[in-house]
Amino acid sequence: MTAENLTANLHLLTPEFVLAGFALLVFVLDLLLSDEHKDLLGWLSALGLVGLAVLSVLMLAGENESLYNGLLAVDAYSLFFKVFFCGIGVFIILSSIDYVKKYLNHPGEFYGLLLFSILGMNLMAMSRELLTAYISLELLSFSLYVMVAYALGNPKSNEGSLKYIIIGALSSAILLYGLSMVYSTLGVTRFEAIAEALMEGEVVSPALWAGLALIVAGLGFKLAAVPFHMWAPDAYEGAPLPVTAYLAIASKAAAFALVLRLLAEAFVPAGDRWDQWQIILVVMAALSMLVGNLVALAQRNLKRLMAYSSVGHVGYLLAGTAVLAQDSLLGANGVIFYLVGYSVTSMVVFAALIAFFNATGQDEIPDLAGLADRQPFLAMAIAIGLFSLSGLPIFVGFTIKFYLFTAVANEGYLWLAGLAIFTSLISLYYYLQVIRQMYIQPALAAPAEGDEHRSGEEGIEARPEAEAEEHLHTPAHHEPASDYVPLPRPSPALIAVVGIGLVATIALGVYPAPLLELVESASAAILPGS
Amino acid sequence: MVPLVAFQVLSAALFAIGLYGVMARRSAVLIVMSIELMLNAVNINLIAAASHLDGMGKWANFDGQIIAIFVITVAAAEVGLGMAIILRMYRNRSTVNVDEINLMKW
Repeated sequence: MTAENLTANLHLLTPEFVLAGFALLVFVLDLLLSDEHKDLLGWLSALGLVGLAVLSVLMLAGENESLYNGLLAVDAYSLFFKVFFCGIGVFIILSSIDYVKKYLNHPGEFYGLLLFSILGMNLMAMSRELLTAYISLELLSFSLYVMVAYALGNPKSNEGSLKYIIIGALSSAILLYGLSMVYSTLGVTRFEAIAEALMEGEVVSPALWAGLALIVAGLGFKLAAVPFHMWAPDAYEGAPLPVTAYLAIASKAAAFALVLRLLAEAFVPAGDRWDQWQIILVVMAALSMLVGNLVALAQRNLKRLMAYSSVGHVGYLLAGTAVLAQDSLLGANGVIFYLVGYSVTSMVVFAALIAFFNATGQDEIPDLAGLADRQPFLAMAIAIGLFSLSGLPIFVGFTIKFYLFTAVANEGYLWLAGLAIFTSLISLYYYLQVIRQMYIQPALAAPAEGDEHRSGEEGIEARPEAEAEEHLHTPAHHEPASDYVPLPRPSPALIAVVGIGLVATIALGVYPAPLLELVESASAAILPGS
Repeated sequence: MVPLVAFQVLSAALFAIGLYGVMARRSAVLIVMSIELMLNAVNINLIAAASHLDGMGKWANFDGQIIAIFVITVAAAEVGLGMAIILRMYRNRSTVNVDEINLMKW
């Protein structure tokens, strides 16, 4: 390997260099701007990400190269995810500008960290070597630890972040121990080399087996798959709402982008010799579906509800990754398509919840009572989003589930597809609970402004009594439409995010063909054998 | 020469001690220290493997050392972040005992 080899096609990394420079620029501009103009940084970051997505498409479309002697891949797969992550970043930034302005200190650094985490995600989709994958994963995780802790005075944000960083660091240690075992048995850490090593020799050595299992376990923590999901509900609930959305959508998609490439390039080619990884994934998938959806039934906090429901969705996605096969793109297509559809739909729900929180400072399910009267647009958006998440037709949620579950059933895991459909039905129940609050329950009295920093004890246990008392003392509440307080209109940026998300939710549900073509070209890049 | 397996046993023992510490310690600071122990177990494993991969202890393969340097760097950053969050926790709640950090359950 000569130095020329290493720098020959360095220009393919331009989008990453631009993004890193841009993130640093945002940090510097943060120092120069006065406090009332800090939201300009949000708009600038969103604009920059749009530009970056365009730049990536113009520069990298059709490329299929590898950089640094095979550490990073620039192919249709990484390009697809690059554009996808930039899109998520734009929508998250647009929906968080108001929230950040109203509730958080240090807005400039918030956007800078977000940009760095997107850099980490892009690299995760590109990396085809364990150490590179790990470093980019940590770039994403470190940004997320800080962003979860961003509400400095809020003990819940603190607690969520502490739990997140301790479990995150533990999972990195487990992942790295797996990496060191793979390295000490093979002497290499590139995905392709792992596949080659798995294919040759009499038996797969137990040390290699254990190392790969530890890597899968470490990634399971990052995915929040049962039994490694304990951090997710607390981190989701404690985090500021836009960060919760970011955790639920982006970090999940990025972790799956990495897992998908790892499985497709390192494990799938050796599927005849070593297929135990499928069993691990199938067990994790089944447990995630069951635990996520069943525990979600008991939740009162919207963020926690979304956290457990996202654990359930990770279960479906894992089922898709378990059926990856050398001769069929169905599983990979299903997973990538599911990631896009799930992100679009969750974006609608979270943007509407952020708008609701900006207006009221509330995030418990009973607080949504009467939202259909108070702010019909938001209620409709949340309802459509939740219907889509539970998988009802015409919305994208149905199409992605249909596609993914068909792929799972086709590969012979009929019972797993059945379990997925059954747990989707369960999920409809708790989503409908939220919709019932919005459309059937009468609106409560005007919300107290500025109680967003309620402590958890009050938030979870004391609120039912408080509401019961309100009902006793003010019987007028039982006559809806007489005393409900309309909410102020959400800001144009939030309306735009919700509107675009709604259009995409329905359009992709009715006519997914163009997106599916892109998805197929992406999965063909990591599974060239089929 | 010390065989590779001796290093691997040492590394596994360190990793197990660290894992026990994460589960048994109640102070957040000690939990972070235990995680450091686990990461150091990884480093021992990597460096020993790097020197033994040719079977003769002659540094035939440098990748392990390079990975170990990355691991040390990332671990340092992780501790920095963890300590900042623990400090913030102490300011807000006046405790770093993980048994008392229980605003959110289930």
